[in-house]
Amino acid sequence: MSTRAVTFRAAALLLLVVFVTRPQLFAFAFVPLTANNAPAIYNQGSLLALTLSHVRIVFLATLASTILAVALAIFVTRPAGREFLPLSRSLVNIGQTFPPIAVLAIAVPLVGFGEKPTFIALFLYGLLPIFENTLAGLTEVSPRTLEAARGMGMNAWQRLWQVELPLALPVILAGIRLSVIISLGTATIGSTVAAKGLGEVIIAGLQSNNVAFILQGGLVVALLAVLIHDGLGLAERAAARRLGRPLDEIA
Amino acid sequence: MPTLRPTLHLDRLGSVIAGLIGLALVASPFVTYRANRIVSGEGRLLFDALPPAGAVGTILVVIGVALCAALAHRPLVRLAAASLGLCVIFPAVGVSAGFVTPVGNTFARVSPAIGFWLLALAFALLAADALTRLRLGPWGRLAALSIAAGMLALLLLSGAWSDLSLMKEYANRAESFWREGRQHLWLAFGSMGAACLVGLPLGLASHRVPALRAALLQGLSIVQTIPSIALFGILIAPLGYLAANVPLAAALGIRGIGAAPAFIALFLYSLLPVVANTMAGLSQVPADVTEAARGMGLSRRQRLVQIELPLAFPVILAGIRIVLVQNLGLATIAALIGGGGFGTFVFQGIGQTAIDLVLLGALPTVALSFAAAIILDAIIDLTRRGGHDRD
Amino acid sequence: MIEIEHLSKHYGDNIVVDDVSFAVGDGEIAVVVGTSGAGKSTLLRMINRLVVPNTGRVLIDGQDTATLPEDELRHRIGYVIQGYGLFPHRTVAENISTVPRLLGWDRRRIAARVEELLDLFQLDPGEFAQKFPHQLSGGQQQRVGVARALAAKPALLLMDEPFGSLDPVIRGKAQDDLLAIQRRLGTTIVLVTHDMNEAFHLGDRIAVMDQARLLQYAKPADLLTHPAEAFVEQLVGTAERPFRLLSLVTVKDAMEPGSAEGEPITVSATLRDALAQLIWRGRPALPVTDASGAPVGRISVDGILKHGRASLS
Repeated sequence: MSTRAVTFRAAALLLLVVFVTRPQLFAFAFVPLTANNAPAIYNQGSLLALTLSHVRIVFLATLASTILAVALAIFVTRPAGREFLPLSRSLVNIGQTFPPIAVLAIAVPLVGFGEKPTFIALFLYGLLPIFENTLAGLTEVSPRTLEAARGMGMNAWQRLWQVELPLALPVILAGIRLSVIISLGTATIGSTVAAKGLGEVIIAGLQSNNVAFILQGGLVVALLAVLIHDGLGLAERAAARRLGRPLDEIA
Repeated sequence: MPTLRPTLHLDRLGSVIAGLIGLALVASPFVTYRANRIVSGEGRLLFDALPPAGAVGTILVVIGVALCAALAHRPLVRLAAASLGLCVIFPAVGVSAGFVTPVGNTFARVSPAIGFWLLALAFALLAADALTRLRLGPWGRLAALSIAAGMLALLLLSGAWSDLSLMKEYANRAESFWREGRQHLWLAFGSMGAACLVGLPLGLASHRVPALRAALLQGLSIVQTIPSIALFGILIAPLGYLAANVPLAAALGIRGIGAAPAFIALFLYSLLPVVANTMAGLSQVPADVTEAARGMGLSRRQRLVQIELPLAFPVILAGIRIVLVQNLGLATIAALIGGGGFGTFVFQGIGQTAIDLVLLGALPTVALSFAAAIILDAIIDLTRRGGHDRD
Repeated sequence: MIEIEHLSKHYGDNIVVDDVSFAVGDGEIAVVVGTSGAGKSTLLRMINRLVVPNTGRVLIDGQDTATLPEDELRHRIGYVIQGYGLFPHRTVAENISTVPRLLGWDRRRIAARVEELLDLFQLDPGEFAQKFPHQLSGGQQQRVGVARALAAKPALLLMDEPFGSLDPVIRGKAQDDLLAIQRRLGTTIVLVTHDMNEAFHLGDRIAVMDQARLLQYAKPADLLTHPAEAFVEQLVGTAERPFRLLSLVTVKDAMEPGSAEGEPITVSATLRDALAQLIWRGRPALPVTDASGAPVGRISVDGILKHGRASLS
């Protein structure tokens, strides 16, 4: 990684941290967007608290989806679960035509407002990319490698943990990254069902017709998403490198 | 290969589906009855939700489908069973609405409940599995889609569902439903069209100019990572400024809030798949093919139009499929910033905790994305075959 | 001692291996040769039970392999396949230590074993231990594949087209290296190939298979002099038979007392090489020396021809 790229990332991260901890420092930039002496900086809660709770729900939901999705993908690629493989493939295809907002909206009447419907939507929608990628990663392991593993007396469990999963890891990580990005967006919409998150700033701006709120909310969410996406990309490449994969294999 | 098995052999997947059906039948209400639109409802099991004869008939059909799922192995039989099940429970839930509502009560609302949805899910899973195993060709899939769409249209037009809460919500807003529908399609297809107009030349240019490639892809993939509302929000400020200061923009209907930022955001999201797939499609044209074309004296332009673009077409179409499905879903969010579309009902429904209103917005969106995915997948398959051996 | 007794395997109506029996002595190399689809690989994979036979059994030192847990059995048998199946996510050292780790060897013992094997296969441990398979050449990968199979000191090594992915230039060298290592370690090897030259080069005994059946199992010379069926004769190549035969015998066996002028030939050279030298030098006879260079006798064109006629008749 070039020093320019490092500096650029560090600067973006610093900007985000300073903005959410000391937003008033940036008030001068947002004042021109306000009318009728409306506040220039979001004042109905702490940006830092919203950011943390936003990240927390995405993290927890992604963790849950990762566990279930990887477990399901492992199941359908074992002899016992083979019968479920074709259907699970089509389900992933069908599931991705569901917009996340629909999942969110349908969850509300079932579990009420707040974090719960957001968590459910994040969790369910996050399953798809991780499942799809884990499936791809596991089915792409070369049959020759598996034959060698079997021939050396690795049992099914050892083959899974020592050969299949490590080889699938970069692809699984790419799925998790995709899932995190979708979840960051869905969590923003979650504010419409009263989940604590950065969407609140944008919604508040829309309700009070305050463009300054809308813009700063948008910028913080966008910066957060780009930084997280980038950070996960670095982790993926590091994993690929540790697995001895040539770097250009991972886009 | 085991072809004939004299003994009964349980299908694993089918057993799970049968279990789901059992759960729906025994332990979950088929419809929810509410005295009015807002209050919480009470569930009715299938047996209490229909006139006795109808209830027994429906239950028998449902049990029959469950048995088929668990014991039958031929995909066609399973598909037939699943279709029969769907053809029974969909009208049944409409009939049930009329049956459960006290005569003359116009405030009462009846909605499909968890039991109905579980049954529908189980039958849909069974059908999807059977269809997957049948490996239908593109025409077969299109035919299956048209049959499903036709049945759905018949159901809605026949008025069988008119006593359901969902259709009552529709009846109250029929006009705005179609207006928002048109807006939804305009947002999704319009931004896709714009993205094709800009993205195809951009993809072509970056195929020819490698220096452009990396920068363009990186920039566009950053845009893709920005969540939709955030991008809407970021666009609102400059568009608002434009509207306030440039009379022409205002005259064109551009305002800070409304359809303009949504349209532009969807357009920006659409660029990456179009550009990336155009590039990928062009770069996978075999070198010897273009070499042969050069050798035969085709000009650069002729090569592009006659050779490269047709060969890249399926890959470009795959990009368009991604864009279309993505846009149909994302357009729902446009309602949040006043951009209209089916999302209007979703957000209204969330505000009023009226699930049927949410469904009125969500179901058409899902149906549209679903149909778009199937149709485009079929078209992609047809173009991949080179248009020759269509059977 | 490996005893294969009446092994058969069929998938539905398709018979892949049909009642095959033979035995391989300790420290011997048995090569199974035949056209593709003859059932060679399936036969090999029944020895480590990657394929479970329908009938018949395999005894290793008198013990029926079916009585052992499969994984335990495979830990004791080295296995090399075409393309080697190296784990792409593990370094050379980690690849080689796979079975020792499964067996729970302690770390120091594993490290010592890895180093020993890398030395044995002429791969500098400092340079190669931490490399990943994709950083190796084909020949290096092949050596790592064999080293990995030998890691836990198996008494038996199964090889399925182990040289199949190598280009002809390094294939010969790899075969010689394998022979040298096998002579040194005394490992029993069952090797599958479709390449007749490879079979004659490596095999102490050769099993010829065709259409699921074992046609003949014999020493290379017997295969040449007494082919059991027309197919075997055709497979070993009618025209090349005399030359193949000569390449199986060393100068020692056809040497005559006396001396001759010219460039000496060592006693361990094959008769084929000696004949080539005689023709090339245009001489009726050449002197023979032992390993230290001391003259021990002479070899003549007539002597070679006489020897050839004797063994062919």
